[in-house]
Amino acid sequence: MKEKDLSHIKVTDYAGKLAKGFLYNPLTALLAVFLLVLGYISLEVMPREEDPQIAISGGSVIVVAPGMSPKQVEKVIVDPLEQKLREIKGVEHIYSMSMENVAVVNVMYYIGQNREISNLKLYDKVMQNMDKMPKSIMQPLVKPFDIDIDIPIVTIAFYRDQNSQIPYVKFLETVENLKRDISQIENVSKTTLKGAHKEQYNVEVDLAKLKGYHISLGQIMQGIQAIAKIAPAVDTATKENKLVVFGVKNAIESVEDVQSIIIAQYMGSPIYLRDVATVTDGIDFQNKQSALLTMKENDKILQTKQMTLTVSKLAGSNAVFVSDDVKAMLQKNKKYLENLGIHYKITRDYGVRADDAVNELVHHLVITIAIIAVMLIFFLGWKESLIVTFTVPAILAITLFVAYMTGQTINRITLFAFLLSLGLLVDAAIIVIENIHRHLHDHNSVHKDMDTLLIKATDEIGRPTNIATLAIILTMVPMLFVGGMMGEFMKPIPQNVPVALLASLIVAYIFTPYLSRKLLKRKEDGAHKHTHHTNKEEK
Amino acid sequence: MPHHHHEGKKFENFVFNILKTPSKKVFVIIAVIIALVGSIMMLPTKAVMARMLPGKSANTFNVYVTTPAGSSIEETKAVSQCVVDQLTKEKEITDIETFLAQGAPLDYAGLVKGSALKQGERFAEIVVNLTDKHEREEKSFTMVHRLRPEIKKECGNIIKETTISFIEMPSGPPTLAAIAVEVYGDKNSDVLKVANDVAHILKKTPKLVDVDIMSETPYDRYQLIPLKDKIAKSGLTVEQVNNILYLAFKGMEVAVKNTIEINDQVGIFVSLSRDSKKLSNSTLNALSAKLSSLYLMNKKGMMVPLTEIVDIVKIKSTPTIYHKDLKTMVNVIAETDMESQVYPLLEARQTMIEYFGEHGYEVSKVPGITTFMFDLNLKDKQTGKEYLIRWDGEMKVTLDTFRDLGAAFIAALILIYLLLVIYYKSFAISGIVLAGSFLSIIGVIVGHWVADLVTVDVFFLTATSLIGFIALMGISSRNSLLLIDFAKSLMEEKGIEKRRAIAIASATRAKPIMLTAIAIILGSALLASDPIFGGLGVALISGTVAAVIVSLIFIPVLMDNTKAL
Repeated sequence: MKEKDLSHIKVTDYAGKLAKGFLYNPLTALLAVFLLVLGYISLEVMPREEDPQIAISGGSVIVVAPGMSPKQVEKVIVDPLEQKLREIKGVEHIYSMSMENVAVVNVMYYIGQNREISNLKLYDKVMQNMDKMPKSIMQPLVKPFDIDIDIPIVTIAFYRDQNSQIPYVKFLETVENLKRDISQIENVSKTTLKGAHKEQYNVEVDLAKLKGYHISLGQIMQGIQAIAKIAPAVDTATKENKLVVFGVKNAIESVEDVQSIIIAQYMGSPIYLRDVATVTDGIDFQNKQSALLTMKENDKILQTKQMTLTVSKLAGSNAVFVSDDVKAMLQKNKKYLENLGIHYKITRDYGVRADDAVNELVHHLVITIAIIAVMLIFFLGWKESLIVTFTVPAILAITLFVAYMTGQTINRITLFAFLLSLGLLVDAAIIVIENIHRHLHDHNSVHKDMDTLLIKATDEIGRPTNIATLAIILTMVPMLFVGGMMGEFMKPIPQNVPVALLASLIVAYIFTPYLSRKLLKRKEDGAHKHTHHTNKEEK
Repeated sequence: MPHHHHEGKKFENFVFNILKTPSKKVFVIIAVIIALVGSIMMLPTKAVMARMLPGKSANTFNVYVTTPAGSSIEETKAVSQCVVDQLTKEKEITDIETFLAQGAPLDYAGLVKGSALKQGERFAEIVVNLTDKHEREEKSFTMVHRLRPEIKKECGNIIKETTISFIEMPSGPPTLAAIAVEVYGDKNSDVLKVANDVAHILKKTPKLVDVDIMSETPYDRYQLIPLKDKIAKSGLTVEQVNNILYLAFKGMEVAVKNTIEINDQVGIFVSLSRDSKKLSNSTLNALSAKLSSLYLMNKKGMMVPLTEIVDIVKIKSTPTIYHKDLKTMVNVIAETDMESQVYPLLEARQTMIEYFGEHGYEVSKVPGITTFMFDLNLKDKQTGKEYLIRWDGEMKVTLDTFRDLGAAFIAALILIYLLLVIYYKSFAISGIVLAGSFLSIIGVIVGHWVADLVTVDVFFLTATSLIGFIALMGISSRNSLLLIDFAKSLMEEKGIEKRRAIAIASATRAKPIMLTAIAIILGSALLASDPIFGGLGVALISGTVAAVIVSLIFIPVLMDNTKAL
């Protein structure tokens, strides 16, 4: 690459300076490649998620007060508690419910408050004012909301098929083991099982039989408690100081053991528990929470009981990767589960949705760039079009990299910011190339050498373009100060659009003249002498 | 490129002609003013409707089933099963998950709708998954719109006063509901009464659906009053009575069995069998009959029937007392059905003013323009009790956002103006640029009107349209800037006469202005079809068209009229 002395060309603006500085610089091409690689890497490694993370802090204070009516709860517990909680700085709203026996006070902080500090402040306030609470209440429960950790990104419904031989307990155990494996995956924060039931021996007493045998329910309770004692092992030492451990064997090992507990004597003969009650090895039916799955399989509607495993991810991690890892884990266990007659259905996958969103962006970008390129071929020529087309990925690469560096994620709203800037960021390059194009085809610039022409053409539009771009950036800045949930939600727009616009200026000033020098040739049709009168003045 | 040149010349003469003929100049100015006033008038006349964010087509939606307080899980289950049965008839639904007595796994909507706090037999949440939105013709919100009345008709009356609400994925930040009316007052029961009236009015307002009072209606319950004398005489204790009742009907884990195989302990749970527990009906007699067959054993080993030592009375349950920010409040919520919440709100508010005015209240509006400007103060003429009806929910967020965006817009205007004053050192020229950029609003509004005409659904002016408009200001000021700069340099460096210079500048700058405009239009074309970003797309496309016309014809007229140039 030949180094040329360009110092004789006078420039007035940064535009011209940049154009001059990079026109013959061997690093220019390298910089281009570097930018594109940087952008590609950022696109690949940047965490993807569907909705942006909004930091919502708050918590619930739950106070159990047995025997109090809603009115009493309100007067004795809620009113003083609310007044104290109101003193906490940063609290936006306090909601409370005074119910029979229970008070629930929910505290919502302003959006953007630090979560850890907020949680601490809430806990502190409640504990400091325990002495103001009536004596009859139980210890208050302080439960912070943890919003972006708590929204599961993957949910999986597990169910047994009709032919499955395994009991519920085995089913539960299998899913719980899988849950444990999944919770060990990198960046998985919290896993829960919804609709799962615990194993339990159910003693269902028949009231009519109870009456017939003259037994009270209390006797049944006492009868069971008398037998189902768990005795810890005891030990003692021999004369030689050897330890001997012994213990009472658990009297209840199976359902049968429970069934044959003797409750009472009636007319001289013993009454077993099985005489007055059905005892089964079942699930905790008093827990009314349950879950069902309804699906269509070969046009048949299938409804079964299910339990749903929910998987949340850590804040700032990539939903796509976490979801892929979870799915891989499921796939690995699929055969094993199917042998047991357990099947699963993924009922939520935010990973796929996040990926879709990003792919849609790339898709949109490619189409838009193609359309603009075709339009420019029509108006300016294919080489000019090619130059402008190159600037788009370069600008986006810079923007993406900056977004990655500032800890942002790719989500619906960053996508929105990119789409918004798409129409704007080719402008600078178009203005530069159009001016170069105009000068190249202008007969009055025939006497100028190519370098001077490129730099001058860039320099000429520099000032108004800078000011105009600055104006657009200024329109975006106030959006940073939009408050509330919506402000937080659309923050990626004022964060990214100005970066994209600045990048568009720099890229336009550096690469447009550089590529023009490589690609464009001066039009040599000196025959056409129809000159514009403005240019006459120039001579 | 001769043809370009001739076109340029033609346009140059066209502009020059306008500038030198005063009548044509006046015509241009009047035309612009008419267009501006006309387009802005489209907002109050509802030719263009405003809304925070439009619905988003998603692959999933939820149905919340809430049966009245005091309902059993079986009743809630029956209603949700009915909903599921209706839903399975749909071709596009792939699977449905029903979560009984609890909320579904948390999502963005559930976050603010209190899904995680739901616990109890009256609640159920149903998650409905659809086929992929790209392969489905019907949008999820049209589907919900279609299914809502069908399902409510079919399943809403199984249990009286059941609420079935359809929850769609929010396209913006989630809110409690589209419309949330907070009724404040001193006494819970009075507030409830007003809230009931409010709910009644909302239910009658067209386009409002899923109206729900966030408080439970009192239901019949029974109270057992222990007869202390008789209990003492029979050698029993009140605690025994409590325990036996709990054991019989709720059940209790009385002991545990340790196992080696499972880490958990297995409980031994005692209760009456399902059949024994059931009452023949919900009358006092039925309860009394059941309790009479329940015996307690006293210290002497004698069996005492429960009914001997307690009295049973029928009472009403006391509803929960809700506070917001320390004041007694009852929330009434409603969703809009594919409609902006603004217009039904105004309609419902008008009805409320009339209704409460006729029913013995003194109604007064909150003065001034704030985001609480729709609130109403009520004063009971007889008792003098005061109530406040406050509008919250999506409406409040919308007003707050539009207010903030409006402030952002004004701040942007001032910043641009200052920037231009620094650049041109002239207030007049800066004013021209600013005026020009403000005029793109004509295009934005007209564009939405056209978009509304050509699309099937209502095309709303949304928050994203507003963001587009703010961005447009920058874009059109760029056009004006390039124009003024070029004209100035022609005059200063080449000494061309003002009008001719302006005309030449317009003609020369027409090409890059058009090119960048086309780039923006093409770049936003894909956006326009998007349900959420559609507003932005349309704003950018039509606003840019307006900006081009304004900067090539109207700006030259203003430039000619100013002495600063």
